[in-house]
Amino acid sequence: MEKLLPEKIAAQIRDVFHQLKNPVQVLLFVSQKNCDFCAETRQLLEEVIPLSDLLSLSVHDLAEEPDLAKHYQVEEKSPAIVIAAREGEQVTDYGIRYLGIPSGHEFTTLIQDLILVSGRDSGLSPQLREYVKGLTKPLHLQVFVTPT
Amino acid sequence: MVLAHQIAMENPSMVLAEGVEATEFQELSEKYGISSVPDTVINEDAGRVIGAVPEQNMLAELMRVLGK
Repeated sequence: MEKLLPEKIAAQIRDVFHQLKNPVQVLLFVSQKNCDFCAETRQLLEEVIPLSDLLSLSVHDLAEEPDLAKHYQVEEKSPAIVIAAREGEQVTDYGIRYLGIPSGHEFTTLIQDLILVSGRDSGLSPQLREYVKGLTKPLHLQVFVTPT
Repeated sequence: MVLAHQIAMENPSMVLAEGVEATEFQELSEKYGISSVPDTVINEDAGRVIGAVPEQNMLAELMRVLGK
């Protein structure tokens, strides 16, 4: 299969990944039906994740692992990417999801997210940080984007 | 998008932050009438932030929706 990432780009990403500090677990949820971009998303992640030893990828089928899908709140959503922290076997969910293929501009977002989670710090300004920490009601953010 | 993810990271037990590729998830996009991106839907349209905004604007809208 032809690669999605040319070697030159892969080398650049490898460089950027020097900023990674701690292990990151990426979970990809796919579906056999009604998923135009599952195969391509899987291929993209299978090319990106091996570019650093700190990154791991697991691929899950929504139909075969419904409990896991429910746990990560990605039922009936594919492709869905969860970017979580990992310490040994322990995976910590940070509530970070990406639904769809992270291509074009959103490819940069994927790389930024990996670095963000790896750093284990949100990097928010003190005011917003305090506000979010003090939330007592659930907050659901859905950021709609397009690849270009 | 990264701002939403930063917010989730700060309090993952309360916050779920999804980036949604609008053309692939058309039903969702239509539900919220997405016409330009980025467009952030807060708590199933209790609030809305259009465009890539500074943290202050996001905070103001969150306060409006969820209270101070």
